[in-house]
Amino acid sequence: MLSSLSRRRVVVLLILTSLLLITLDRRGSNLFIDKARQVFAVVVRPFDIAAEAVSKPIANAWYGITHYDDVRNENVALKDQLAQQKGAEIEAKTAINKVNEILKLNRLNSVRNYKYVVAQVAGDAPSNFQNTVEITVGSREGIAVGMPVTNGAGLIGKVTKVYADRSLVLLITDPQYSVQAQVSSRADADEGSSTSSSEPSNTALSGRSKDTTTSESTTTSSSTTTTIAAKNDPGSTIAPGGVPTQTSTSSTSTTLPGFEVRRETGDIDGQGADRPLKFSLIEDSAITNVKVGDTVETAGGLKSLAPQSIPIGTIIRIDQGTGSRSPIVEVAPNASLVQLNFVSVVLFVPNQAAI
Amino acid sequence: VRSLPFALFTRLIPIALVILGMQRTIFATYRPAGVAVQVVLALAAAAGAGAGSERGAFAGFALGMMYDLGVGTPLGMSALAYGLAGLTAGYVLSITPDPQWWLAAIFTAAGAAVGEMAIPLIKFLTGQEGWLTRKLFVTIPVVTIGALILSPLFVPLGRWCAGAKRRRWRVMLE
Repeated sequence: MLSSLSRRRVVVLLILTSLLLITLDRRGSNLFIDKARQVFAVVVRPFDIAAEAVSKPIANAWYGITHYDDVRNENVALKDQLAQQKGAEIEAKTAINKVNEILKLNRLNSVRNYKYVVAQVAGDAPSNFQNTVEITVGSREGIAVGMPVTNGAGLIGKVTKVYADRSLVLLITDPQYSVQAQVSSRADADEGSSTSSSEPSNTALSGRSKDTTTSESTTTSSSTTTTIAAKNDPGSTIAPGGVPTQTSTSSTSTTLPGFEVRRETGDIDGQGADRPLKFSLIEDSAITNVKVGDTVETAGGLKSLAPQSIPIGTIIRIDQGTGSRSPIVEVAPNASLVQLNFVSVVLFVPNQAAI
Repeated sequence: VRSLPFALFTRLIPIALVILGMQRTIFATYRPAGVAVQVVLALAAAAGAGAGSERGAFAGFALGMMYDLGVGTPLGMSALAYGLAGLTAGYVLSITPDPQWWLAAIFTAAGAAVGEMAIPLIKFLTGQEGWLTRKLFVTIPVVTIGALILSPLFVPLGRWCAGAKRRRWRVMLE
């Protein structure tokens, strides 16, 4: 009966049915569609495993034969890189511990306060119009829709679909992805306003988009009194990330040049797999406060998809914009999204409105 | 000639599960020029080239639905695109009832190109921007060539899955 329909009717029927389904699916969580996907995932799983079991040994053997020299050279290069990184790692760990202590003292949240689940990337998106990867953990491990996913280098995306033993992760480069972010930039010494070490100052906190903090490195000679500024103390100095800083009242013998840290907030949006991320500042005028090379990290907050301070990337291009054209800031992601292997899902459940 | 619903349930769905398994593993991993060859789309177009526009459209729709369910794309999007692929490829039977293998291959490739192009267009129309990029100039040719190469195998398979038989000219004997 179906094949006896005229060609025109077939086209109309197909288009209408598809549009109906797309509309139902795009409206959000639909019990019937979600259930159908879950059942289908169970049905198709054995076929996936069989296809992988057949193809993987052959593909690996072929790769080993054809790329033997490359693999050896890469191994040597990676060993060298690892040796260099060991030194930097110790230094970084010390700094992280210090930051965590400050955050703990001030009862502030950091990404390290959240538990995470390590997962392996099972495969890339089969479609050419989807920036997703499949990971090997699901609802059984406590994964939920919206959770941020990171690897060693930084943020890679968010969980969009969860099945019992696997999940789909939408990568940060997807045009549908958007997250609140902040850029912390350190101005040069001559640009920064100089302040006396005995007078803690709170320099202009102009709304959400700009926090300016002036800090000063000092070496003390004898009697040093260190106080931790209270969270809501109007006189306290707020560091990037909203962390009140230590204010030292001391008799100074040597003063190192002061520096100014500016924080600008905005939204990071994906622009497609081969393109950098777009950083839209809340205030266009704030463009003068960021520069190429500044690092961008998640901003956190109630409506954010991720907790604060997950590294996202580095600013690689700033177009100031002319006339009515808005300024453009482009960010290269820290994490290489091409060949992901192990990732961590941060067990941070974002606000439903953010998802 | 089998009825279409019978063929869909007994032939197309089991074959599609195997092809979808391959799409989600082998063809998602090994990407020539960074593009995933679309075997399910190639089968949808081949079903059209082998069984005609109407059967091809329904077979493509069913394959697209399975793709959407398995891959996590919005339900109905690939179904529409793959249905159009089957419909387009099926026009070959309007030219000749028994096309040569190379003619069927050309129409299969054309159907696959239409199907692959339809996806970013549908995304754009449903408010998902950012996919109509220059990368399409690489994606579409790779998918088209993939379908062209697979067509000698997929056209007979697609015809069988859609429950049709190859039409042959017979000489009337007195």
